Amino acid sequence: MTVTSPAGATPGLAARPPGPALPRLLPPGGRPGGLAGHLAALGPLPYRGGPGRLIADVAESGLTGRGGAAFPVARKLAAVAAGRRPVVVGNGAESEPLSGKDAALLRAAPHLVLDGLQLAAEAVGARRAILAVHPGGYAGGTLTGALAQRQAAGLDRVPVELAEATDGFLAGQETALVSALNGGLGRPAFTPPRVSDRGVGGHPTLVQNVETLCHLALIARYGAAWFRSVGTGTEPGSMLATVWQADGRAAVTEAALGTPLGQLLDLRGPVQAVLVGGYHGTWLPAGQAAGLALSNASLHPAGAAAGAGVLAALPAGRCGLAETARVARYLALASSGQCGPCLNGLPRIAAGLAELAGTRPRPTVIHDLERWSGLTSGRGACHHPDGTVRFVRSALVTFAAETAAHAAGRCSAPGAAPFLLVPAEQTPAPGGRR
Amino acid sequence: MSADTALWYASRATGVVCLLLMTVVVLLGVLVTRQGRLPGLPRFAVTGLHRNLSLLAVLFLVVHVVTAILDPFVTIGWVATVVPLASPYRPVWIGLGAVALDLMAALVLTSLARARIGRRAWRAVHWLAYALWPLSLAHSLGSSGDLRSGPLLWLSAACAAAVAAALSVRLLAAAQAVPPAGRAAAELARHEAAARRPVTLAPRGPVARQEDLLARRQSVLGGEEASPGRHALAASTGVAREAGR
Repeated sequence: MTVTSPAGATPGLAARPPGPALPRLLPPGGRPGGLAGHLAALGPLPYRGGPGRLIADVAESGLTGRGGAAFPVARKLAAVAAGRRPVVVGNGAESEPLSGKDAALLRAAPHLVLDGLQLAAEAVGARRAILAVHPGGYAGGTLTGALAQRQAAGLDRVPVELAEATDGFLAGQETALVSALNGGLGRPAFTPPRVSDRGVGGHPTLVQNVETLCHLALIARYGAAWFRSVGTGTEPGSMLATVWQADGRAAVTEAALGTPLGQLLDLRGPVQAVLVGGYHGTWLPAGQAAGLALSNASLHPAGAAAGAGVLAALPAGRCGLAETARVARYLALASSGQCGPCLNGLPRIAAGLAELAGTRPRPTVIHDLERWSGLTSGRGACHHPDGTVRFVRSALVTFAAETAAHAAGRCSAPGAAPFLLVPAEQTPAPGGRR
Repeated sequence: MSADTALWYASRATGVVCLLLMTVVVLLGVLVTRQGRLPGLPRFAVTGLHRNLSLLAVLFLVVHVVTAILDPFVTIGWVATVVPLASPYRPVWIGLGAVALDLMAALVLTSLARARIGRRAWRAVHWLAYALWPLSLAHSLGSSGDLRSGPLLWLSAACAAAVAAALSVRLLAAAQAVPPAGRAAAELARHEAAARRPVTLAPRGPVARQEDLLARRQSVLGGEEASPGRHALAASTGVAREAGR
């Protein structure tokens, strides 16, 4: 397939991309008019008339998964398209407490998500499409209405099933989501088999974050060159970021890959550190973060990753250790309790960190934390232990001064109110054994 | 000891050894679970022991059955070894042995074909092992008077007591087991209790503050209750427009 120009003379592409370069996904003030308004603004849904045809465009665009892992979408599409009777799953489970972008998309641009789901289903030849959303129902009303409109217009070629993901930090993990959709316990599974080989109902399954689907729907309309017109050469396009400012304000914002973090976060005020990538992410000192950009090329050398685009600034006057300890406790409780390293490691690390965040911790605790971290990472069915250990280790580095203060019996912010959002503790579901 | 009594003794002895082996196999199967271990033995060794002792029991069972048929002291007949109630001699008690033999055959065949039939089907059939053991014990006690008195009675009583004890330990453990979803919480509580220092900055915010945080997330998500001005979706539009090139 030839590279298409943004001007769009190629058949199948809409005549002209609307408006300025950004935002692409979430128009300011929303897009009124439901399905009609959506199609009027963006152009018709450009079905390609058969499986596989969109994949070359997606490969050309360089689109990667926006759920956090940044896996090349075209490779996933090609892998699933090669299988028998594939299934497509739009992943809007968004189980990261600090992320709000998927919910924002489902609420403000449901038709863009559903366009992407249809196009992905066509690209892999799927007859079944599922849209999984965070439990709690804040997206359900919008989505059932949107689906009804599309059905009335005869737009969808594959019927879309709405499903609620389970609650909990690991619910959005690919294998856990597929397990829940299959009627299982919703726990991460060992791979192989990958879900692209054996997923929902045992069929090859494409699981894509809802934001990824939105980008897909726009690439199908305006082409790969248009998509690459923002972002960097190696990481093209834009991504949604959920940005938590030090003053407590929070916003979902769209930014080109490569945008300096200082443009997204207000780092001029009294900010001591920045959490990049959510609770599986990395703490960075504010000064270091100010010199970095929202791209893996910039963040990887600092030990961080763009992930699902969560950025949080920790203001001065808070104890970074206490914040980290609260989150580590939440993450330890989020373990599904099936792998030894996670079940034995994370509670130990969380308890050690709580001691470290308290007054006069034993001097051995910090060494224990390092040792346990080394023993815990790189093992288990999913990346929960790895992500948690990355988060904890980065805190020990970034808040080294605070650690020294605690060892001497001082805390820079004793009794400060919690800053980072940690969901309320949940009692384990009864009948968890199977 | 004539040729005839040799057969008689062989049949009785192999029968007793077979019962002992089956008892050990049942004990291993009952006690060794995913979490439970035998001290000093890794799990794969226990599984191997379970499997090899079972095969040894099969061997003894074959000798036991063949010698019992060949023994001219009583008439049983080849058919009665697999068909219950077909034996002219003590049809009920020999019949129990026949059922046990059939079950044993089913267990061996499904175990050999485990990779082919799948774990679930194999496991379903393997539950029959729990019926096999009491059948064998009843067959031993009923078929002849030897086990009903003296040291052999004590032996069979000891087997029964061991299996009963193992079963109660296993059932008790199952009743007290923490479901996977609660395991991390149990572990965390254990470690927090074990920390010598009081955890003064216990990572639990006051409830009111927690609700405030949840409200903040709700405002990010764009819920109806979002306060005007903090509604985020429209707030930042062109952030990276100039930066993205």
